Amino acid sequence: MPQTKLIYRRLLKITAFAGLLGFANLRPGQTAIVVTDSLGREVALPRQAKRVLSLQPEITRLIVALGAGDRLVGIDFFLRTHDHLFKIVYPGQERLPLVSMANYSVNMEVLTGLAPDVIFGAPEDPNVIAALETKTRVPVAAFSSMGRFDNLLDELRLVGRILGRDDRAAELAAAFRNHMAALKARLADIPPSGKPKVFLSFWNVFTNTPVAYEPVDAAGGVNVAEGLLPSFAGTLNAVVPVEQVLRWAPDIILLQGNYPPDRRTVTVAAALADRRLASLRAVKGKRVHYTFGFWNWWDFALAMVETSYLAKLFYPDRFTDVDLAAEGNAIFKMVYGIENGYSALCRIIRCDEWVHAR
Amino acid sequence: MPGRKKGLTIFLLILPFLVFLFSLYIGTTPISPSLLFKTLLSPLVSSWKASLPESVYDIVFAIRLPRLLLALAVGAALSVSGAALQALFKNPLVNEYILGISSGAAFGAALSFVVLGSRVPPQILAFVFAVLAVGLVLLIARRSDSPIVSILLTGVIVSAFFSALLSLVEYFASPYSLQALFFWLMGNLWKAGWTDLAISLPIIGAGVAVLVLMRWRFNVLSMSDEEARSLGVRIRREKLIVLATATLITAAATAVAGIIGWIGLIVPHLVRMIVGVDNRRVLPLSAALGATVLLIADDIARSLASFEVPVGIFTSIIGIPLFIILLRRAAKVWR
Repeated sequence: MPQTKLIYRRLLKITAFAGLLGFANLRPGQTAIVVTDSLGREVALPRQAKRVLSLQPEITRLIVALGAGDRLVGIDFFLRTHDHLFKIVYPGQERLPLVSMANYSVNMEVLTGLAPDVIFGAPEDPNVIAALETKTRVPVAAFSSMGRFDNLLDELRLVGRILGRDDRAAELAAAFRNHMAALKARLADIPPSGKPKVFLSFWNVFTNTPVAYEPVDAAGGVNVAEGLLPSFAGTLNAVVPVEQVLRWAPDIILLQGNYPPDRRTVTVAAALADRRLASLRAVKGKRVHYTFGFWNWWDFALAMVETSYLAKLFYPDRFTDVDLAAEGNAIFKMVYGIENGYSALCRIIRCDEWVHAR
Repeated sequence: MPGRKKGLTIFLLILPFLVFLFSLYIGTTPISPSLLFKTLLSPLVSSWKASLPESVYDIVFAIRLPRLLLALAVGAALSVSGAALQALFKNPLVNEYILGISSGAAFGAALSFVVLGSRVPPQILAFVFAVLAVGLVLLIARRSDSPIVSILLTGVIVSAFFSALLSLVEYFASPYSLQALFFWLMGNLWKAGWTDLAISLPIIGAGVAVLVLMRWRFNVLSMSDEEARSLGVRIRREKLIVLATATLITAAATAVAGIIGWIGLIVPHLVRMIVGVDNRRVLPLSAALGATVLLIADDIARSLASFEVPVGIFTSIIGIPLFIILLRRAAKVWR
């Protein structure tokens, strides 16, 4: 398709050009770190950035976890209005001016007035990133973890470097790795055939499933949709036929529970009552559960808590000693420095009803 | 009726049943013809049911059958509605959504997904706002001297109004509500179950039956109002019945399947090309061909890839080029 190729080439040129502009956008005296972002662009970002704007919630939460929440100069609409988690981990968000609905509807005048040293965006649309960079003349980098722990840790390291918080980033990364290594050690003797097959239903549509979700793998499960072709380019989600779910015959079905109960359109009760799923082992054995899932990409602390929760869900006998509420609160304390943050989250999304009920 | 036309008519009427049987074989899970036959008859033969794999029984009776039956009903409803409105407005470019049904339904569903969460199912609000949109059109256009033109223009305006409201709701939605809404808006049948059929089938069945039974009158309604009046037709009452019935069946279909475009525009044109413009044949054959087209589009949507493609995308992809071809060929039919 020559036209598609032409459009693709033009997009690459635009993003590469915008990436090069990043060098020119540094302030006098600022030293640069050259990074390759999730769009594959070489971007020169300032070291020790003092004023930061993030339009990507996953990175905004990482900035808070790195202890640099006071450097945020603005906030997007999702975090301000829909993100119950961010209000808990960073109460200071209330003072921040609203700059966008999402990264595709930024108020450029407000943004320019805030004079950030660097802007972080999501890699969903290269044109948006290019426009942000050319119009604001501020270096812009687009990152996302795309359901992979390594990507999340890379993001953490890079943001840490840009903020001059390398030590804190290394500390968080080590805690994350140790957490996962401890889980792995407990599950080391489980053969592949002994691992439960898991179907994940995310994003408020039962048949919408992520083609990569590492907490399931790390907790000793197998994501039945792993490696499937995504339905939408540049995303992780595939919308599969109900018959395909039956064909996979999952042992466990996990529904995204990261919503207050009245916002969930896919519920455990509905899945258990769905006649189409009645023959599944997961339904017969009532092994349909909520899990946390993505929350506008990931949350670093919640990814750790969720992995423990899933390991205990998959192998209850091996994790009888794990008190998820205590562990969750300890993780939130370690990552965000707040007391009982996990319990506060659970009160909103009622996760105590599904995490601690077993 | 000439023999060839009669043969075609009979073929078009039995076509949905043939495609329906063929569609039962299509799906992610391969089921052999003999196993499918055994499964279909298993409710009558208890020993057969006991020997069936449980998942096969569920695939046939809980997934494929309700979905295919819903595709038949929705396809028939949209096509008959489109054919009836085209005849009523004497305009071949009219479709089943012209009176603001799709934008009203979309706004209702958006309110449900984004504002009300799980408290009110999207199907209910989609139906209510679809009917409300048409009600608004009729209310605004009721005192016009040329009601047909007024209704069409008001339909465009009301559609635009609800589209703007939809954009507003989308703009303030969280990405997670948007995902659910986005999927609904593209039109799909994956959620089809017996409950959807139980709710929508009585409305669609009754509405399609009313319009098909009225097929004789459409030829009269297609004339000028003076001519129709001289033949003893109570035009205002007849038009209101047609508008109300077409609205109800389209709204019922849209509420359970989302917005599936182009069926109501293309299918009546195809039928006219095959059997001519006589509405006595156009109405029932539009029902049959509409059901067939949506069944085939849904077969493609659920079997083309490992993931499911919303069927509304296919009806648009197939419908638009087909419409261009029809426009070039059918000019003489409408002249």
